[in-house]
Amino acid sequence: MKKSWWTMRRKQALEGYLFILPWIIGVSAFFLYPLFKSIRLSFSKITKFAGWEMEWVGFDNYIRAFVWDINFLPMFFETVQKTLLYLPLINIFALFLAILLNKKIKARGLFRMVYFMPVILGSGHVMTQLVGEGVVQGAIDVERGVAIPREILMYMGPTIVRTVQNFMNNLALILWKSGVQIVLYISGLQGISSSLYEAARCDGASEWEMFWKITLPMISPVILLSLIYTLIDLFADVSNPIVDYVRTTAFTNRQYEYGAAIGWIYFAFIFLIVMVVFMAGRRYVHDASAR
Amino acid sequence: MQNTGSKKKKLRKKISFGWFMFYTFLIALVAFTSLPLVYMISTAFKPLDELFIYPPRFFVRRPTLQNFIDLLTAVSSSTIPFTRYIFNSLFVTVVVVGGTVIISSLGAFVVAKYKLPGVNWIFGIVIAALMFSSHVTQIPSYMVINKLGLLNTYWALIIPKLAVPYNFFLIKQFCEQMPNELLESARIDGANDWVLFWKIAMPTLTPAWSTLIVFSFISNWNDAFTPLIYITSQAKKTLPLALQTIAGGPGVVARSGAVAAATFITTIPTIVIFVWMQARVLETMAYSGIKA
Repeated sequence: MKKSWWTMRRKQALEGYLFILPWIIGVSAFFLYPLFKSIRLSFSKITKFAGWEMEWVGFDNYIRAFVWDINFLPMFFETVQKTLLYLPLINIFALFLAILLNKKIKARGLFRMVYFMPVILGSGHVMTQLVGEGVVQGAIDVERGVAIPREILMYMGPTIVRTVQNFMNNLALILWKSGVQIVLYISGLQGISSSLYEAARCDGASEWEMFWKITLPMISPVILLSLIYTLIDLFADVSNPIVDYVRTTAFTNRQYEYGAAIGWIYFAFIFLIVMVVFMAGRRYVHDASAR
Repeated sequence: MQNTGSKKKKLRKKISFGWFMFYTFLIALVAFTSLPLVYMISTAFKPLDELFIYPPRFFVRRPTLQNFIDLLTAVSSSTIPFTRYIFNSLFVTVVVVGGTVIISSLGAFVVAKYKLPGVNWIFGIVIAALMFSSHVTQIPSYMVINKLGLLNTYWALIIPKLAVPYNFFLIKQFCEQMPNELLESARIDGANDWVLFWKIAMPTLTPAWSTLIVFSFISNWNDAFTPLIYITSQAKKTLPLALQTIAGGPGVVARSGAVAAATFITTIPTIVIFVWMQARVLETMAYSGIKA
Protein backbone atom coordinates (compact mmCIF):
# COMPACT_ATOMS: atom_id res chain seq x y z
CA MET A 1 0.00 0.00 0.00
CA LYS A 2 2.64 2.39 1.09
CA LYS A 3 4.95 1.37 -1.69
CA SER A 4 2.37 1.90 -4.40
CA TRP A 5 1.62 5.35 -3.04
CA TRP A 6 5.27 6.14 -3.23
CA THR A 7 5.60 5.09 -6.85
CA MET A 8 2.52 7.07 -7.74
CA ARG A 9 4.10 10.02 -6.09
CA ARG A 10 7.23 9.42 -8.08
CA LYS A 11 5.34 9.14 -11.34
CA GLN A 12 3.62 12.39 -10.53
CA ALA A 13 6.95 14.07 -9.88
CA LEU A 14 8.27 12.81 -13.17
CA GLU A 15 5.26 14.20 -14.98
CA GLY A 16 5.73 17.46 -13.12
CA TYR A 17 9.31 17.81 -14.32
CA LEU A 18 8.12 16.98 -17.81
CA PHE A 19 5.68 19.88 -17.58
CA ILE A 20 8.36 22.40 -16.63
CA LEU A 21 10.87 21.07 -19.11
CA PRO A 22 9.96 23.26 -22.11
CA TRP A 23 10.17 26.36 -19.97
CA ILE A 24 13.50 25.36 -18.47
CA ILE A 25 14.97 24.66 -21.90
CA GLY A 26 13.78 28.03 -23.17
CA VAL A 27 15.08 29.96 -20.19
CA SER A 28 18.41 28.15 -20.20
CA ALA A 29 18.98 28.82 -23.88
CA PHE A 30 17.74 32.39 -24.06
CA PHE A 31 18.22 33.76 -20.59
CA LEU A 32 20.68 31.85 -18.39
CA TYR A 33 23.26 30.99 -21.02
CA PRO A 34 23.21 34.52 -22.49
CA LEU A 35 23.42 35.92 -18.99
CA PHE A 36 26.63 34.12 -18.14
CA LYS A 37 27.97 34.68 -21.60
CA SER A 38 27.41 38.42 -21.21
CA ILE A 39 29.33 38.44 -17.92
CA ARG A 40 32.17 36.72 -19.72
CA LEU A 41 31.84 39.21 -22.56
CA SER A 42 32.04 42.21 -20.24
CA PHE A 43 35.48 41.07 -19.05
CA SER A 44 36.77 40.42 -22.53
CA LYS A 45 37.75 41.97 -25.76
CA ILE A 46 36.46 40.51 -28.99
CA THR A 47 39.38 39.84 -31.28
CA LYS A 48 37.51 38.29 -34.20
CA PHE A 49 33.85 38.90 -34.95
CA ALA A 50 33.59 35.92 -37.24
CA GLY A 51 33.86 33.20 -34.61
CA TRP A 52 33.24 35.40 -31.58
CA GLU A 53 36.82 34.87 -30.48
CA MET A 54 37.70 36.88 -27.41
CA GLU A 55 40.51 37.39 -24.97
CA TRP A 56 40.36 38.12 -21.25
CA VAL A 57 41.06 41.75 -20.36
CA GLY A 58 39.94 41.88 -16.72
CA PHE A 59 38.19 45.04 -15.58
CA ASP A 60 39.18 47.16 -18.58
CA ASN A 61 35.61 47.65 -19.80
CA TYR A 62 34.40 48.62 -16.35
CA ILE A 63 37.28 51.03 -15.81
CA ARG A 64 36.48 52.57 -19.16
CA ALA A 65 32.89 53.26 -18.06
CA PHE A 66 33.89 55.06 -14.88
CA VAL A 67 37.15 56.73 -15.90
CA TRP A 68 37.25 57.27 -19.64
CA ASP A 69 33.68 57.51 -20.85
CA ILE A 70 32.40 61.08 -20.50
CA ASN A 71 28.86 60.13 -21.47
CA PHE A 72 28.15 57.29 -19.12
CA LEU A 73 28.15 58.81 -15.64
CA PRO A 74 26.09 61.96 -16.40
CA MET A 75 23.52 59.83 -18.21
CA PHE A 76 23.50 57.40 -15.35
CA PHE A 77 22.81 60.11 -12.78
CA GLU A 78 20.17 61.71 -14.95
CA THR A 79 18.36 58.40 -15.22
CA VAL A 80 18.56 57.75 -11.48
CA GLN A 81 17.36 61.25 -10.65
CA LYS A 82 14.42 61.05 -13.01
CA THR A 83 13.41 57.63 -11.75
CA LEU A 84 13.51 58.67 -8.11
CA LEU A 85 11.40 61.72 -8.95
CA TYR A 86 8.77 59.77 -10.87
CA LEU A 87 8.58 56.85 -8.46
CA PRO A 88 6.59 58.60 -5.70
CA LEU A 89 4.63 60.80 -8.11
CA ILE A 90 3.37 57.88 -10.19
CA ASN A 91 2.43 55.83 -7.16
CA ILE A 92 0.62 58.60 -5.31
CA PHE A 93 -1.24 59.51 -8.45
CA ALA A 94 -2.14 55.89 -9.23
CA LEU A 95 -3.34 55.23 -5.69
CA PHE A 96 -5.42 58.40 -5.77
CA LEU A 97 -7.05 57.42 -9.05
CA ALA A 98 -7.59 53.85 -7.90
CA ILE A 99 -9.43 55.09 -4.81
CA LEU A 100 -11.63 57.27 -6.98
CA LEU A 101 -12.31 54.43 -9.39
CA ASN A 102 -13.05 52.03 -6.57
CA LYS A 103 -16.08 54.09 -5.56
CA LYS A 104 -19.45 53.11 -6.91
CA ILE A 105 -19.39 55.22 -10.03
CA LYS A 106 -20.96 54.88 -13.43
CA ALA A 107 -18.89 53.53 -16.33
CA ARG A 108 -16.09 52.42 -14.07
CA GLY A 109 -14.90 49.84 -16.56
CA LEU A 110 -14.71 52.46 -19.27
CA PHE A 111 -12.65 54.84 -17.14
CA ARG A 112 -10.30 52.08 -16.12
CA MET A 113 -9.89 51.03 -19.72
CA VAL A 114 -9.09 54.51 -20.91
CA TYR A 115 -6.53 55.05 -18.16
CA PHE A 116 -4.90 51.79 -19.11
CA MET A 117 -4.75 52.68 -22.79
CA PRO A 118 -1.36 54.49 -22.70
CA VAL A 119 0.25 51.29 -21.43
CA ILE A 120 -0.75 49.67 -24.67
CA LEU A 121 0.28 52.52 -26.91
CA GLY A 122 3.36 53.26 -24.86
CA SER A 123 4.97 49.89 -24.94
CA GLY A 124 5.99 50.15 -28.51
CA HIS A 125 7.23 51.84 -31.54
CA VAL A 126 4.07 53.89 -31.84
CA MET A 127 4.72 55.93 -28.73
CA THR A 128 8.36 56.41 -29.64
CA GLN A 129 7.18 57.65 -32.97
CA LEU A 130 4.69 60.01 -31.34
CA VAL A 131 7.28 61.41 -28.96
CA GLY A 132 9.84 61.65 -31.76
CA GLU A 133 7.48 63.59 -33.99
CA GLY A 134 6.92 66.09 -31.21
CA VAL A 135 3.36 64.98 -30.77
CA VAL A 136 3.64 64.96 -27.00
CA GLN A 137 5.09 68.42 -27.09
CA GLY A 138 2.43 69.44 -29.56
CA ALA A 139 -0.34 68.00 -27.46
CA ILE A 140 0.89 69.87 -24.44
CA ASP A 141 1.29 73.06 -26.40
CA VAL A 142 -2.28 72.76 -27.51
CA GLU A 143 -3.35 71.91 -24.01
CA ARG A 144 -1.55 74.95 -22.68
CA GLY A 145 -3.15 77.12 -25.29
CA VAL A 146 -6.55 75.82 -24.25
CA ALA A 147 -5.97 75.85 -20.50
CA ILE A 148 -4.35 79.25 -20.23
CA PRO A 149 -4.77 81.94 -22.89
CA ARG A 150 -1.58 83.12 -24.48
CA GLU A 151 -2.14 86.69 -23.35
CA ILE A 152 -1.90 85.66 -19.73
CA LEU A 153 1.18 83.57 -20.43
CA MET A 154 2.87 86.60 -21.95
CA TYR A 155 2.51 88.49 -18.68
CA MET A 156 3.92 85.65 -16.62
CA GLY A 157 7.37 85.64 -18.12
CA PRO A 158 9.45 82.79 -19.46
CA THR A 159 10.39 81.16 -16.15
CA ILE A 160 6.83 80.57 -15.08
CA VAL A 161 5.82 79.46 -18.54
CA ARG A 162 8.65 76.96 -18.52
CA THR A 163 7.56 75.72 -15.10
CA VAL A 164 4.01 75.29 -16.31
CA GLN A 165 5.26 73.53 -19.40
CA ASN A 166 7.46 71.25 -17.30
CA PHE A 167 4.59 70.49 -15.01
CA MET A 168 2.29 69.63 -17.89
CA ASN A 169 5.01 67.52 -19.42
CA ASN A 170 5.47 65.60 -16.19
CA LEU A 171 1.75 65.24 -15.67
CA ALA A 172 1.37 63.69 -19.10
CA LEU A 173 4.23 61.28 -18.46
CA ILE A 174 2.94 60.32 -15.04
CA LEU A 175 -0.51 59.72 -16.41
CA TRP A 176 0.80 57.62 -19.27
CA LYS A 177 3.01 55.58 -17.00
CA SER A 178 0.56 54.68 -14.25
CA GLY A 179 -1.87 52.37 -16.03
CA VAL A 180 -0.59 49.14 -14.54
CA GLN A 181 -0.26 50.64 -11.08
CA ILE A 182 -3.87 51.80 -11.15
CA VAL A 183 -4.99 48.26 -11.94
CA LEU A 184 -2.78 46.86 -9.16
CA TYR A 185 -4.15 49.30 -6.60
CA ILE A 186 -7.76 48.68 -7.61
CA SER A 187 -7.36 44.95 -7.13
CA GLY A 188 -5.70 45.65 -3.78
CA LEU A 189 -8.52 47.92 -2.68
CA GLN A 190 -11.13 45.37 -3.65
CA GLY A 191 -9.42 42.82 -1.46
CA ILE A 192 -10.13 44.87 1.67
CA SER A 193 -13.15 43.53 3.51
CA SER A 194 -15.93 46.10 3.68
CA SER A 195 -16.73 45.04 7.25
CA LEU A 196 -13.60 46.88 8.39
CA TYR A 197 -14.97 50.13 7.02
CA GLU A 198 -18.42 49.48 8.48
CA ALA A 199 -16.94 48.86 11.91
CA ALA A 200 -14.85 52.02 11.68
CA ARG A 201 -17.87 54.02 10.54
CA CYS A 202 -19.83 52.79 13.55
CA ASP A 203 -17.01 54.07 15.73
CA GLY A 204 -17.38 57.45 14.05
CA ALA A 205 -14.24 57.48 11.96
CA SER A 206 -14.06 60.01 9.14
CA GLU A 207 -13.14 59.12 5.57
CA TRP A 208 -9.75 60.70 6.10
CA GLU A 209 -9.05 58.65 9.22
CA MET A 210 -10.23 55.48 7.53
CA PHE A 211 -7.82 56.09 4.68
CA TRP A 212 -4.82 56.35 7.00
CA LYS A 213 -5.86 53.71 9.51
CA ILE A 214 -7.47 51.08 7.28
CA THR A 215 -6.84 51.54 3.58
CA LEU A 216 -3.15 52.35 3.73
CA PRO A 217 -2.06 49.56 6.07
CA MET A 218 -4.27 47.02 4.32
CA ILE A 219 -2.88 47.70 0.87
CA SER A 220 0.72 48.14 1.99
CA PRO A 221 1.75 44.85 0.31
CA VAL A 222 0.27 46.13 -2.94
CA ILE A 223 2.09 49.43 -2.49
CA LEU A 224 5.36 47.56 -2.14
CA LEU A 225 4.61 45.50 -5.23
CA SER A 226 3.66 48.59 -7.17
CA LEU A 227 6.77 50.49 -6.05
CA ILE A 228 9.00 47.68 -7.24
CA TYR A 229 7.07 47.36 -10.48
CA THR A 230 7.41 51.10 -11.09
CA LEU A 231 11.14 51.05 -10.35
CA ILE A 232 11.80 48.23 -12.77
CA ASP A 233 9.48 49.67 -15.37
CA LEU A 234 11.17 53.07 -15.25
CA PHE A 235 14.68 51.68 -15.22
CA ALA A 236 14.09 49.24 -18.05
CA ASP A 237 12.13 51.68 -20.18
CA VAL A 238 13.29 51.78 -23.78
CA SER A 239 13.18 55.56 -23.89
CA ASN A 240 15.55 55.61 -20.94
CA PRO A 241 18.87 57.29 -21.94
CA ILE A 242 21.02 54.56 -20.40
CA VAL A 243 19.13 51.70 -21.98
CA ASP A 244 19.35 53.52 -25.26
CA TYR A 245 23.08 54.04 -24.71
CA VAL A 246 23.62 50.34 -24.07
CA ARG A 247 21.78 49.56 -27.26
CA THR A 248 23.65 52.04 -29.44
CA THR A 249 27.01 51.04 -27.97
CA ALA A 250 26.39 47.38 -28.57
CA PHE A 251 24.52 47.36 -31.84
CA THR A 252 25.22 50.60 -33.68
CA ASN A 253 28.86 50.99 -32.66
CA ARG A 254 29.40 47.23 -32.47
CA GLN A 255 31.24 47.44 -29.13
CA TYR A 256 29.50 44.41 -27.69
CA GLU A 257 31.86 43.91 -24.79
CA TYR A 258 31.59 47.49 -23.59
CA GLY A 259 27.82 47.39 -24.04
CA ALA A 260 27.67 44.30 -21.86
CA ALA A 261 29.83 45.97 -19.21
CA ILE A 262 27.72 49.11 -18.87
CA GLY A 263 24.61 46.97 -19.00
CA TRP A 264 25.90 45.03 -16.02
CA ILE A 265 26.86 48.14 -14.06
CA TYR A 266 23.40 49.53 -14.64
CA PHE A 267 21.57 46.38 -13.64
CA ALA A 268 23.72 45.80 -10.60
CA PHE A 269 22.60 49.24 -9.50
CA ILE A 270 18.93 48.51 -10.19
CA PHE A 271 19.22 45.28 -8.27
CA LEU A 272 20.66 47.18 -5.31
CA ILE A 273 17.88 49.79 -5.30
CA VAL A 274 15.15 47.20 -5.67
CA MET A 275 16.63 45.22 -2.80
CA VAL A 276 16.78 48.32 -0.59
CA VAL A 277 13.15 49.16 -1.37
CA PHE A 278 12.15 45.56 -0.81
CA MET A 279 13.90 45.29 2.56
CA ALA A 280 12.65 48.65 3.80
CA GLY A 281 9.18 47.97 2.45
CA ARG A 282 8.94 44.53 3.96
CA ARG A 283 9.70 45.87 7.39
CA TYR A 284 7.00 48.48 7.01
CA VAL A 285 4.47 46.04 5.63
CA HIS A 286 5.18 43.61 8.40
CA ASP A 287 4.73 46.29 11.06
CA ALA A 288 1.41 47.27 9.58
CA SER A 289 0.05 43.75 9.65
CA ALA A 290 1.25 43.13 13.21
CA ARG A 291 -0.38 46.21 14.62
CA MET B 1 -34.14 59.34 14.61
CA GLN B 2 -35.14 62.59 12.97
CA ASN B 3 -31.71 63.93 13.68
CA THR B 4 -29.96 61.20 11.77
CA GLY B 5 -32.43 61.62 8.91
CA SER B 6 -31.60 65.29 8.43
CA LYS B 7 -27.94 64.49 8.73
CA LYS B 8 -28.27 61.99 5.94
CA LYS B 9 -29.99 64.56 3.75
CA LYS B 10 -27.21 67.03 4.35
CA LEU B 11 -24.66 64.40 3.52
CA ARG B 12 -26.44 63.59 0.33
CA LYS B 13 -26.48 67.20 -0.78
CA LYS B 14 -22.77 67.48 -0.10
CA ILE B 15 -22.10 64.32 -1.99
CA SER B 16 -23.99 65.35 -5.09
CA PHE B 17 -21.84 68.45 -5.50
CA GLY B 18 -18.79 66.37 -4.75
CA TRP B 19 -19.99 63.85 -7.30
CA PHE B 20 -20.19 66.54 -9.95
CA MET B 21 -16.62 67.67 -9.30
CA PHE B 22 -15.58 64.06 -9.18
CA TYR B 23 -16.90 63.20 -12.63
CA THR B 24 -15.55 66.42 -14.07
CA PHE B 25 -12.13 65.50 -12.75
CA LEU B 26 -12.27 61.95 -14.07
CA ILE B 27 -13.47 63.06 -17.48
CA ALA B 28 -10.78 65.75 -17.67
CA LEU B 29 -8.19 63.07 -17.00
CA VAL B 30 -9.75 60.83 -19.63
CA ALA B 31 -9.45 63.66 -22.12
CA PHE B 32 -5.83 64.16 -21.18
CA THR B 33 -5.02 60.47 -21.37
CA SER B 34 -6.61 59.97 -24.73
CA LEU B 35 -4.78 62.94 -26.27
CA PRO B 36 -2.09 60.85 -28.02
CA LEU B 37 -4.67 58.43 -29.33
CA VAL B 38 -6.90 61.17 -30.69
CA TYR B 39 -3.90 62.94 -32.16
CA MET B 40 -2.71 59.78 -33.83
CA ILE B 41 -6.09 59.07 -35.39
CA SER B 42 -6.60 62.61 -36.58
CA THR B 43 -3.06 62.81 -37.98
CA ALA B 44 -3.64 59.72 -40.08
CA PHE B 45 -6.39 61.56 -41.91
CA LYS B 46 -4.65 64.90 -42.32
CA PRO B 47 -3.82 66.19 -45.80
CA LEU B 48 -0.17 67.09 -46.42
CA ASP B 49 -0.43 70.82 -45.80
CA GLU B 50 -2.08 70.29 -42.42
CA LEU B 51 0.63 67.85 -41.36
CA PHE B 52 3.28 70.55 -41.36
CA ILE B 53 1.44 73.39 -39.67
CA TYR B 54 3.37 74.80 -36.75
CA PRO B 55 2.26 74.73 -33.98
CA PRO B 56 0.62 71.42 -34.88
CA ARG B 57 -3.15 71.51 -34.96
CA PHE B 58 -4.89 68.91 -32.92
CA PHE B 59 -7.92 68.02 -34.95
CA VAL B 60 -8.02 67.43 -38.65
CA ARG B 61 -9.83 70.13 -40.65
CA ARG B 62 -10.26 68.44 -44.01
CA PRO B 63 -10.00 64.68 -43.51
CA THR B 64 -8.59 62.70 -46.42
CA LEU B 65 -7.67 59.12 -47.23
CA GLN B 66 -4.67 60.24 -49.27
CA ASN B 67 -2.22 59.05 -46.59
CA PHE B 68 -3.47 55.49 -46.86
CA ILE B 69 -3.18 55.58 -50.65
CA ASP B 70 0.35 57.01 -50.28
CA LEU B 71 1.20 54.22 -47.92
CA LEU B 72 0.12 51.59 -50.43
CA THR B 73 2.02 53.17 -53.29
CA ALA B 74 5.10 53.81 -51.15
CA VAL B 75 5.44 50.16 -50.26
CA SER B 76 4.26 48.69 -53.54
CA SER B 77 7.22 50.30 -55.29
CA SER B 78 9.35 47.83 -53.38
CA THR B 79 8.48 44.25 -54.26
CA ILE B 80 6.69 43.30 -51.06
CA PRO B 81 3.08 44.32 -50.50
CA PHE B 82 2.10 45.93 -47.22
CA THR B 83 -0.19 43.02 -46.40
CA ARG B 84 2.85 40.76 -46.25
CA TYR B 85 4.14 42.66 -43.21
CA ILE B 86 0.74 42.39 -41.60
CA PHE B 87 0.78 38.64 -42.20
CA ASN B 88 4.32 38.33 -40.77
CA SER B 89 3.38 40.25 -37.67
CA LEU B 90 0.15 38.37 -37.14
CA PHE B 91 1.70 34.95 -37.67
CA VAL B 92 4.66 35.53 -35.36
CA THR B 93 2.61 37.20 -32.66
CA VAL B 94 -0.12 34.56 -32.60
CA VAL B 95 2.36 31.68 -32.41
CA VAL B 96 4.37 33.40 -29.68
CA VAL B 97 1.31 34.24 -27.59
CA GLY B 98 -0.14 30.75 -27.90
CA GLY B 99 3.16 29.10 -27.12
CA THR B 100 4.06 31.28 -24.19
CA VAL B 101 0.64 30.85 -22.59
CA ILE B 102 0.93 27.05 -22.69
CA ILE B 103 4.59 26.81 -21.71
CA SER B 104 4.36 29.36 -18.90
CA SER B 105 1.14 27.89 -17.53
CA LEU B 106 2.53 24.34 -17.51
CA GLY B 107 5.68 25.42 -15.70
CA ALA B 108 4.04 27.82 -13.27
CA PHE B 109 1.30 25.34 -12.39
CA VAL B 110 3.84 22.69 -11.47
CA VAL B 111 6.09 25.06 -9.54
CA ALA B 112 3.17 26.48 -7.56
CA LYS B 113 1.24 23.29 -6.87
CA TYR B 114 3.52 20.25 -6.97
CA LYS B 115 6.17 21.01 -4.33
CA LEU B 116 8.75 19.12 -6.31
CA PRO B 117 12.30 18.93 -4.98
CA GLY B 118 14.60 21.38 -6.70
CA VAL B 119 12.06 23.67 -8.33
CA ASN B 120 12.34 26.52 -5.87
CA TRP B 121 15.44 27.86 -7.54
CA ILE B 122 13.38 28.30 -10.70
CA PHE B 123 11.30 30.93 -9.01
CA GLY B 124 14.49 32.60 -7.75
CA ILE B 125 15.70 32.85 -11.32
CA VAL B 126 12.39 34.33 -12.37
CA ILE B 127 12.53 37.05 -9.73
CA ALA B 128 16.08 37.98 -10.68
CA ALA B 129 15.20 37.88 -14.35
CA LEU B 130 12.37 40.38 -13.91
CA MET B 131 14.95 43.06 -13.24
CA PHE B 132 17.01 42.49 -16.34
CA SER B 133 16.44 44.33 -19.52
CA SER B 134 16.73 42.04 -22.48
CA HIS B 135 19.35 44.32 -24.03
CA VAL B 136 22.12 42.89 -21.88
CA THR B 137 21.46 39.33 -22.94
CA GLN B 138 20.69 40.26 -26.52
CA ILE B 139 24.17 39.73 -27.90
CA PRO B 140 24.67 36.19 -26.56
CA SER B 141 21.09 35.38 -27.57
CA TYR B 142 22.11 36.35 -31.05
CA MET B 143 25.01 33.92 -30.83
CA VAL B 144 22.63 31.14 -29.77
CA ILE B 145 20.24 31.84 -32.63
CA ASN B 146 23.19 32.02 -34.98
CA LYS B 147 24.53 28.66 -33.81
CA LEU B 148 21.11 27.05 -34.19
CA GLY B 149 21.07 28.33 -37.74
CA LEU B 150 17.81 30.17 -37.24
CA LEU B 151 18.88 33.61 -38.42
CA ASN B 152 16.48 35.20 -40.86
CA THR B 153 13.67 32.72 -40.16
CA TYR B 154 10.39 33.16 -38.35
CA TRP B 155 11.72 30.82 -35.66
CA ALA B 156 14.28 33.42 -34.61
CA LEU B 157 11.38 35.71 -33.75
CA ILE B 158 9.36 33.00 -32.03
CA ILE B 159 11.60 30.69 -30.00
CA PRO B 160 13.38 33.25 -27.77
CA LYS B 161 10.02 34.76 -26.81
CA LEU B 162 8.40 31.58 -25.53
CA ALA B 163 9.96 31.14 -22.09
CA VAL B 164 9.67 34.66 -20.72
CA PRO B 165 10.21 35.04 -16.94
CA TYR B 166 7.60 37.77 -16.58
CA ASN B 167 4.86 35.56 -18.03
CA PHE B 168 5.84 32.75 -15.69
CA PHE B 169 5.67 35.12 -12.74
CA LEU B 170 2.20 36.36 -13.66
CA ILE B 171 0.68 32.89 -13.99
CA LYS B 172 2.42 31.60 -10.88
CA GLN B 173 0.92 34.40 -8.77
CA PHE B 174 -2.54 33.32 -9.89
CA CYS B 175 -1.78 29.63 -9.38
CA GLU B 176 -1.07 30.27 -5.70
CA GLN B 177 -4.71 31.23 -5.20
CA MET B 178 -6.03 28.01 -6.70
CA PRO B 179 -7.52 25.84 -3.92
CA ASN B 180 -5.63 22.59 -3.35
CA GLU B 181 -8.88 20.75 -2.61
CA LEU B 182 -9.98 21.25 -6.19
CA LEU B 183 -6.91 19.43 -7.46
CA GLU B 184 -7.08 16.75 -4.78
CA SER B 185 -10.69 15.86 -5.51
CA ALA B 186 -9.99 15.63 -9.24
CA ARG B 187 -7.03 13.41 -8.55
CA ILE B 188 -9.15 11.14 -6.37
CA ASP B 189 -11.62 10.92 -9.23
CA GLY B 190 -8.78 9.44 -11.24
CA ALA B 191 -7.69 12.36 -13.40
CA ASN B 192 -4.06 12.19 -14.48
CA ASP B 193 -1.85 15.26 -14.45
CA TRP B 194 -2.32 16.11 -18.09
CA VAL B 195 -6.11 16.04 -17.73
CA LEU B 196 -5.83 17.88 -14.45
CA PHE B 197 -3.94 20.68 -16.12
CA TRP B 198 -6.28 21.11 -19.06
CA LYS B 199 -9.62 20.44 -17.38
CA ILE B 200 -9.09 21.94 -13.92
CA ALA B 201 -6.12 24.28 -13.87
CA MET B 202 -6.54 26.14 -17.17
CA PRO B 203 -10.25 26.96 -16.71
CA THR B 204 -9.53 28.25 -13.20
CA LEU B 205 -6.67 30.33 -14.53
CA THR B 206 -8.74 32.05 -17.23
CA PRO B 207 -8.23 35.57 -15.81
CA ALA B 208 -4.49 34.93 -15.61
CA TRP B 209 -3.97 33.78 -19.15
CA SER B 210 -6.41 36.34 -20.53
CA THR B 211 -4.21 38.99 -18.95
CA LEU B 212 -1.14 37.25 -20.27
CA ILE B 213 -2.58 37.17 -23.79
CA VAL B 214 -3.16 40.92 -23.66
CA PHE B 215 0.32 41.75 -22.39
CA SER B 216 2.13 39.27 -24.55
CA PHE B 217 0.25 40.21 -27.70
CA ILE B 218 0.92 43.89 -27.22
CA SER B 219 4.61 43.61 -26.43
CA ASN B 220 5.28 41.19 -29.27
CA TRP B 221 3.19 43.05 -31.79
CA ASN B 222 4.99 46.28 -31.00
CA ASP B 223 8.47 44.79 -30.88
CA ALA B 224 10.65 46.26 -33.62
CA PHE B 225 13.94 45.38 -31.96
CA THR B 226 14.00 41.58 -32.25
CA PRO B 227 13.26 41.49 -35.99
CA LEU B 228 15.79 44.28 -36.48
CA ILE B 229 18.49 41.99 -35.13
CA TYR B 230 17.47 38.62 -36.51
CA ILE B 231 15.78 39.38 -39.80
CA THR B 232 17.62 40.57 -42.86
CA SER B 233 15.29 39.75 -45.73
CA GLN B 234 12.64 42.31 -46.49
CA ALA B 235 9.94 39.66 -46.98
CA LYS B 236 10.19 38.47 -43.38
CA LYS B 237 10.12 41.83 -41.64
CA THR B 238 7.29 42.51 -39.26
CA LEU B 239 5.07 45.54 -39.26
CA PRO B 240 6.90 47.75 -36.71
CA LEU B 241 10.22 47.21 -38.47
CA ALA B 242 8.68 47.80 -41.87
CA LEU B 243 7.27 51.04 -40.49
CA GLN B 244 10.76 52.22 -39.74
CA THR B 245 11.74 51.39 -43.29
CA ILE B 246 8.84 53.38 -44.66
CA ALA B 247 9.70 56.28 -42.42
CA GLY B 248 13.24 56.09 -43.76
CA GLY B 249 14.70 57.20 -40.47
CA PRO B 250 14.29 60.50 -38.67
CA GLY B 251 14.31 63.67 -40.69
CA VAL B 252 12.54 62.25 -43.73
CA VAL B 253 9.47 64.38 -44.20
CA ALA B 254 8.31 63.28 -47.61
CA ARG B 255 6.37 60.30 -46.31
CA SER B 256 5.05 61.73 -43.07
CA GLY B 257 1.49 61.13 -44.18
CA ALA B 258 2.18 57.51 -45.04
CA VAL B 259 3.90 56.98 -41.69
CA ALA B 260 0.95 58.46 -39.84
CA ALA B 261 -1.39 56.13 -41.69
CA ALA B 262 0.85 53.13 -41.03
CA THR B 263 1.09 54.00 -37.33
CA PHE B 264 -2.68 54.13 -37.19
CA ILE B 265 -3.01 50.73 -38.85
CA THR B 266 -0.41 49.17 -36.54
CA THR B 267 -2.18 50.37 -33.43
CA ILE B 268 -5.61 49.01 -34.33
CA PRO B 269 -5.03 45.32 -33.43
CA THR B 270 -3.56 46.12 -30.02
CA ILE B 271 -6.52 48.29 -29.15
CA VAL B 272 -8.98 45.70 -30.44
CA ILE B 273 -7.44 42.84 -28.49
CA PHE B 274 -7.23 44.95 -25.38
CA VAL B 275 -10.83 46.08 -25.50
CA TRP B 276 -12.01 42.57 -26.30
CA MET B 277 -9.94 40.74 -23.68
CA GLN B 278 -10.39 43.36 -21.00
CA ALA B 279 -14.12 42.73 -21.00
CA ARG B 280 -13.41 39.03 -20.74
CA VAL B 281 -10.99 39.41 -17.86
CA LEU B 282 -13.44 41.51 -15.88
CA GLU B 283 -16.27 39.08 -16.61
CA THR B 284 -14.26 36.10 -15.42
CA MET B 285 -13.20 37.89 -12.29
CA ALA B 286 -16.77 38.89 -11.48
CA TYR B 287 -17.91 35.31 -12.08
CA SER B 288 -15.32 33.75 -9.80
CA GLY B 289 -16.14 36.42 -7.23
CA ILE B 290 -19.80 35.40 -7.18
CA LYS B 291 -18.87 31.76 -6.87
CA ALA B 292 -16.50 32.30 -3.95
